[in-house]
Amino acid sequence: MKSIKTHPAEFALALYATGDLPLVDRLRVRFHLSNCDACRSVEQTYRKDQAWIRQKADELPEGVDWDRLSREMTANIRVGIAAGECVARRERKTPIRGWRPVAVAAGLMVVLGSAWWLNVPEAQNESLKRAMVAIFHRGTTLNEDRRPTVFASSTEIKLVENGGTFSMSQGDKAPVAVSVNAEGSASARYVDTDTGQVTITSVYVQ
Amino acid sequence: MGTFRASTDNAPSVCSSRRVPIFFTVFLAAASLSAQSVNLKIDFAKDSPVTPLSVESGDSTATARGGAYQVNVHASLSLRNLSQKKIRGITMAVLAQEVTPGGKGSVSIPSLDVTPNDAFTVRIDVPLIRPLSAGQGAPAVEVRLDGVLFEDLSFYGPDSLHSKHNMTLWELEARRDRKYFKSVLETAGDTGLRNEMLRSLSREADRQQQQPGVQMVRGRSTNFDAGQDVQFAFLDIPESPAEALDGTARITSDGARAPRFEVRNRSTRPIRSLEIGWLVKDQQGREFLAASLPAEANLAPGKTGQVLEQDTALKFRDSTNISTMRGFVSNVEFADGGYWIPSRAIIDDPKLRSLVAPSPEEQRLAQIYRKKGLAALVEELKKF
Repeated sequence: MKSIKTHPAEFALALYATGDLPLVDRLRVRFHLSNCDACRSVEQTYRKDQAWIRQKADELPEGVDWDRLSREMTANIRVGIAAGECVARRERKTPIRGWRPVAVAAGLMVVLGSAWWLNVPEAQNESLKRAMVAIFHRGTTLNEDRRPTVFASSTEIKLVENGGTFSMSQGDKAPVAVSVNAEGSASARYVDTDTGQVTITSVYVQ
Repeated sequence: MGTFRASTDNAPSVCSSRRVPIFFTVFLAAASLSAQSVNLKIDFAKDSPVTPLSVESGDSTATARGGAYQVNVHASLSLRNLSQKKIRGITMAVLAQEVTPGGKGSVSIPSLDVTPNDAFTVRIDVPLIRPLSAGQGAPAVEVRLDGVLFEDLSFYGPDSLHSKHNMTLWELEARRDRKYFKSVLETAGDTGLRNEMLRSLSREADRQQQQPGVQMVRGRSTNFDAGQDVQFAFLDIPESPAEALDGTARITSDGARAPRFEVRNRSTRPIRSLEIGWLVKDQQGREFLAASLPAEANLAPGKTGQVLEQDTALKFRDSTNISTMRGFVSNVEFADGGYWIPSRAIIDDPKLRSLVAPSPEEQRLAQIYRKKGLAALVEELKKF
């Protein structure tokens, strides 16, 4: 026989008898009961009590009409709710269980948006910006020219047509002069800093 | 005018919420694609006076980024002059039909001095962006020879980009400017030539600061912006064979469109084509060369004709508001194949000098002076 200090608590035996003990505790108690007559006796007592209570609960009291009892209970609940609403409007607490998915979705949007902005070519970012401005200024006229267009700026020349962009450059060099021509071309002039060789690049809409 | 497909399929759209999943699907699909090789095709005719010795395109890339293919073609062509004449200029045409149907690019090198059997290098850098939806795989880029100009001003090539006209003008300007700087060296010595170079570099720096971003739109406008007709003032160049008599353009809120000129041939030779420089002064008093207007004139001596670019619109990328406009005849091509370009005296006029870019040859000589000094410049002027 083991020392009394190692006996399971009585509530553990009660829970074991009803099958409500967690798995690890249940195994430990089962092992103890196999070696301890006193505890097994207590556990058997709990099992008998449980069987008796279950049997009594299954027996209907005499004269009880369950259908009528059910209708009365339902009516009482409704009367109670109506009475409560007459006294004061009940404040409903909005469950905040939805905030986590929203936060995750927002974070994902920020990450994807940043990745998009950093990776997508500038021309597409500009189109996106124009579209957002158009949405913001709903109702006003925002002229988006979709005709073939050549651009010339101090940094580049390019042809924009059909959603595509066609540029002609000389690597990282900046042009020393740019020009556009009414026939639909743009030109940029580059000078090689070492040799002085001039290279002229052009784009044409036709 | 070329023909262009009007398409809205490829335009990025974020206005519809139903597009959002597609938007991100495209983004994720694009992000998963790695860089691919570039389809670069180089085409020279069998009878071409230049032949490629080598083509280097090692660092060209085609990468899917966002909803687009971003292609960077970096090619270095080493070419040999197979002809018996010195080459003065070359133009290579660059095509990417999948990206810009009908659109083309070119790379030209003026002021060359390539003797027979010598080799020279043409560098081609083409950044392209094509929507992923416009096709599959990396877009193909094709490089062709468009023209070669020789020392005697003879020309070889298909000339699909009017490169003969442009290269001949650059060569005539180069001869004019070399002759001018040689005369300065003879009359004013090293000091005079040095002062000319310093003035050229200073003017160039000032001119670059004046130039705003401009765009030229071709095709009939679908946006109605009535605007108002504004008259051009013309710089009279007495030595010019063509005189601009009258001209207007319709000024709109974002630029100008439909320029119209009346031009008279005051020479004794029939004119085939001419070009008009379009100067714009904005409301802040800043004046710059906004565009040039080349036109097929076909004017008999003494006759007057009209130059009209009905479907052309000049726009500015910043908030430039046009105050006044001026024009001048910048070059003329005669029917007999001859050309007229302004003399040094004309382009040194203070009204034009700060507005019009110097010739490519003047820029080349100024860079040689800046990088290597006066002795190297003098040596260069003695070459040819």
